[in-house]
Amino acid sequence: MYNFISKSPTIQEIIKGLNLTKALFVSSIIIGEPHTGKKALISSVFDTIPMVSANDTEVLKDILANHDELIITDFEAINIPLSLLEDKKIVATANYITNQNLIDELFAFIYHMPLLQDRQEDISYLSSLYLQEAIDTLLDDESIDIDIKDITLDLSQNTKSLKSSIYKYVLQHSMSKDEIKHSIYNYVYKHIDGNNAYKEFLDIYEEPLIKAGLSKYHSQLKLSSILGINRNTLRKKILEHNLDV
Amino acid sequence: MYDINFQSFIDSDHSPFILFDKYSKILYLNNSAEILLGYVDKKELYDMALQYAPQSFGVKTTTLNLNYECFSFYAITVGYECEEQIYIRLYHTPKVKQNIKLDTNKLILTDINLLLEANITLFKSRYNTSLTLLTDPDIPKFKLDQNRFSKLLRKTFELFGHTQEISIILKFLVGEHIIIDNKRYHIIHLGINSNTKIKNSSDISTIAKECFVSATIYEKSVILKIPLLID
Repeated sequence: MYNFISKSPTIQEIIKGLNLTKALFVSSIIIGEPHTGKKALISSVFDTIPMVSANDTEVLKDILANHDELIITDFEAINIPLSLLEDKKIVATANYITNQNLIDELFAFIYHMPLLQDRQEDISYLSSLYLQEAIDTLLDDESIDIDIKDITLDLSQNTKSLKSSIYKYVLQHSMSKDEIKHSIYNYVYKHIDGNNAYKEFLDIYEEPLIKAGLSKYHSQLKLSSILGINRNTLRKKILEHNLDV
Repeated sequence: MYDINFQSFIDSDHSPFILFDKYSKILYLNNSAEILLGYVDKKELYDMALQYAPQSFGVKTTTLNLNYECFSFYAITVGYECEEQIYIRLYHTPKVKQNIKLDTNKLILTDINLLLEANITLFKSRYNTSLTLLTDPDIPKFKLDQNRFSKLLRKTFELFGHTQEISIILKFLVGEHIIIDNKRYHIIHLGINSNTKIKNSSDISTIAKECFVSATIYEKSVILKIPLLID
């Protein structure tokens, strides 16, 4: 059982359409990019119908042999004789269209799931939801103040990239010194190679150090005194890391 | 030499035949033309006769595609032998015999208003067309192939996808029947009208035939006549 919540008017229409035809013997499909919520939406409406991915050919055949109604996800991967789909009520999701004629022939209702970037109402709702989830999961001290407006939200892969960008942000703001060291250790262990590694990996430490210092103190003179290095040395490193903006 | 009465042949001819005087008044029409005039204005036929008349006295046959609701013609003959009278004869488009047998046991009693509402919802999820609906909620449930009929509705609505506004009328049609397998059925009329020209589709008539529905596509509207299959 999935929970699906959306405030998008287009999705409200899709939910209404699916609910109207829930008791009818008609086949419906929702087509849209991955991670737009198709599967959750269909499962929330048709919660008593067996669900199978078109990738699981044997399971699909088995369900078709024993049920008149079923949900098929990843319909673009369908690879069974089409005669098996006749006289069945199919509710399906597809990430893209591979065979327009088949979809046109089989499905009475063809819905198009909008991208997350076109659902402003959902972006704001899901961002708050994922942020709270991330804080609950990753932070020991939940009083740490994180403002969603400070996060660069990535919508390139719909909910997947949105969730990932929020979790990464919260993680980056919750790590202890030891955890940062451990992360650097893992990174270096994976990538260390060649004959100039010391210099190559130095920027992992130096660049954020100078960047954060500049953001905090603004003045190079003040920062050189805080860092305990000569101003000319600091200037040289700023140029080296292209931080002179 | 026998004296043959050709008028009785023309009277019962399947092709509509109308003789006009020069003021567009009908001087004679056969039985088939009488039925046709229930669907098309006589002025329209008279104007067409003038438009496709031969340049001089005689007869001219022109191939063209004419549709008047359930009537479809592929050619007309226009002739005149004097300045006072002109006639037009219209040739029915041959119809492919439908091999689909109506099996009402495979159909499901359906509330057509529900199917229509679901299709309107689908349409609204894709298009911003403004929409008005006038429906008769008392239309009884009748038997339909729900999936196929919904497909017909989807494809019909898609013809209006680019239009700014449409009006939909669903009503019980009084006084007309559809005969399927020698049985008379009442008709439910679904009309969708737009203020602009709509797209065309060859799919619709094919699916309509599979549903035993008569579908007529006009320049700005579509009419579906659906048999009220109760038993």
